[in-house]
Amino acid sequence: MERVNPYYPIPARIKKIIPETPNITTFILDGKPIEFEAGQFAELTIPGVGEAPFTPSSSPYGGDLEFTIMQVGRVTGALCALKEGDLLGVRGPFGKPYPLRDFEGKDIFIVGGGVGFAPLRSLFLALVHNIDKYRKIYIRYGARTPKDIVYRQLIPTWEKLPSVDILMTVDVDDESWKGRVGVVTVILDEIPVNVKTAPTVVCGPPLMMKFTTQKLLAAGFNDANVYLSMEQNMSCGLGKCNHCRLGKYYVCKDGPVLTWKDIKDIEEPFL
Amino acid sequence: MKFTLLPAEKISDFVQALSADGAVFYPYLENGKTHLQKYAEGKPFKPDFRRIRTAENVKHFFFPSRHTVARFPNDEKKEFPVTYLFGIKNCDLRGVDVYDRVFLKWEPVDPVYRERRKNVFLISADCPVPEESCFCSLVGLNPYGEGVGDVNFTVVSRGLLFEVFTEKGEEIIKKHQGLFTEAGGEDEKERALIRKEALSKVRKINEKSLKKNLPDRIASAEKSRIRDARGECVECHACLHGCPTCYCFLLSDYKRGSDIERVRAWDACYYAAYARVGGGANPRSRLDERFWNRFQCKFNYFYQYESIYSCSGCGRCWLGCSAKIDIREILWNA
Repeated sequence: MERVNPYYPIPARIKKIIPETPNITTFILDGKPIEFEAGQFAELTIPGVGEAPFTPSSSPYGGDLEFTIMQVGRVTGALCALKEGDLLGVRGPFGKPYPLRDFEGKDIFIVGGGVGFAPLRSLFLALVHNIDKYRKIYIRYGARTPKDIVYRQLIPTWEKLPSVDILMTVDVDDESWKGRVGVVTVILDEIPVNVKTAPTVVCGPPLMMKFTTQKLLAAGFNDANVYLSMEQNMSCGLGKCNHCRLGKYYVCKDGPVLTWKDIKDIEEPFL
Repeated sequence: MKFTLLPAEKISDFVQALSADGAVFYPYLENGKTHLQKYAEGKPFKPDFRRIRTAENVKHFFFPSRHTVARFPNDEKKEFPVTYLFGIKNCDLRGVDVYDRVFLKWEPVDPVYRERRKNVFLISADCPVPEESCFCSLVGLNPYGEGVGDVNFTVVSRGLLFEVFTEKGEEIIKKHQGLFTEAGGEDEKERALIRKEALSKVRKINEKSLKKNLPDRIASAEKSRIRDARGECVECHACLHGCPTCYCFLLSDYKRGSDIERVRAWDACYYAAYARVGGGANPRSRLDERFWNRFQCKFNYFYQYESIYSCSGCGRCWLGCSAKIDIREILWNA
C-alpha cells in the first residue's frame, strides 16, 4: 500500500544501544526513518508486540534518530530486550513542535526530571543548532540518584558551550556526588531569567511536573510561556482513537506539549 | 432533479437492479424489531421502512468491530464491496456524520476509513412513527434524512418519494431512471404531512427540550451529579458499542506467519484500562470518572469542535442498558 497509510510503520534497524541507567536505555536507529521537529513524537513498533509513543532524544537536524526509553510496561519491556541489529517500526512524526520562532531572542528555562530529560535533549540540541538566535539556555535537571542521571557522558560537553547554564540535583546522593541534593524544585529557588518574557519547558514524572509548574508560576512565568510535556495513553497518534483526550485536547495532535494556559482549567492534568 | 417517485410496484425491481452492483441491506421485521437483512434474489423481499432504526447500528459497514489497518512488511491494498444501505434512518446518519468528520474532515484523512466508506451508499428513509426510546429531536435532528446520506425517501401512497442530496445519490437514480416516474405536488404534500406528524410524535415523546447552553452546563455540571447518575451501571459497555457515534478504537498487532497484522478494534471509554498509561497511572481509574468523561466527550468536547453533539438520539444506549439509565434524564438535569 502507498506510504500514506498512517498506520504502516517504517522499518528501522537498531544501530547501537547505550545503557544510560539501570532502567533507561538509548536506542540509536540506523539513519533517519522519519523527519521531525523538536516537540513532536513517534510511535515505535516492536514487531509482534505492539506500539508505544516516544519523543526522539536526538537532534531534529541531521544524525541518526535516537530514543531514550525507560522500562516501565509491556512494550518498553519488549523493547529493552531487543539487541543491536534488530528491527523496529517507526510511525510519525505526530503532534505539534515547540514554537521555536517565539523562543528567539529570549532566555529559555528548561526543567527536566528523570527520563523526562530525553525529549528535552532533542529540544536542547535543536536550540544549540541555532544557538545565536537565543539569549541563554538554562537547564535544571533532577534525578533520583547519581546513577539515574541520563546522558552522563554528554553533559560535561554541553556545560562547556557558551550561553548554556546547567544545574543538576539528585534526590538521594552517594559518595561520588558533589552537587546539590533534593528534588528538582530545590534548584528553582533562583531563576536567573526574565520570567515575564522567557519560555520555560518542563518534562518529567507527574509529581515533578505538578510541583515544578506550581513553582514556576509562583516565580512569575506567564501561563502561556509554561510548556508542559503531557503524558496520556495513546494508540493512533492521529487524533482519532480518543485515548489521549485531555479535556478538549488530543494530546497526540494538539500536544504532546501543551501550555499551562491550555490546561489550567483541567482538574488534575498530571497523571 | 430534486424529487422523483419510485412507484410501489417497482420497489422490488429497483432493489434487484441495485443488487447487481453490490450488496443491498434493508430493514426486515423480526420479533418486533427491524434488522438489516441482505437482499438475495429469489428470496422474499419484505422490507419494513415504517419502523424506527434497526437494532444494529450501521457503523459496522464502514468501521467493523475488528479490521486490519496495515500489514507489514508486506502490505496489501484491499478493495471493499459496494454496499447499499437501503432504508436506514436519520439517527444513524448522525453516526455517519460524526465518523466522516473524524476520519475524513479532520487531518490527517484516514485512508483505511476512506476506502471502506467510499463504496457505501446511504439511502435513508423517513421515520414516520418514532418510539418511546427516540430523541433525535433533542440532539438537533429530524426524523427524516436531510443531507448526510446520498438520497432519502418517504413512503407515500404511490410508492417511494426520493430526494437526492449528493452526486453519489444522483448516480443511483440516474442509473435506474427507467424505474422512476415524475413526482407530483400531491406526493410532496403527503410527505409534508407525514413529516409533520412524525415530528410532532417525537416532540411529544420528548416534551422537555435540552437547554441551549448544554455544552457549558455539562462542562460545569457538578461532577457528583453526573457521576451519581451512573446508578447501577454494571460496565457492560452496551451503550458505547451500540452507539452509532462512538468511534474510539485501539490498535493491536498480531503475528501472521512472517507478517504482522495491525488490527483496529472498537474500544470504549468505560473500560477501566482505557486511559491507563504504560507506567500504570490512570487518569480515570474510577467508573464515576469514566461515566462523567463520556458526557464531556459527547456533549461538550465534540460540540466545541463541530457544533453538533456526538449523539444521534437513537436510544440504543437506553434500550441496551442493563441498569436502564436513560441518557435523556441526565441531559435534562444538567
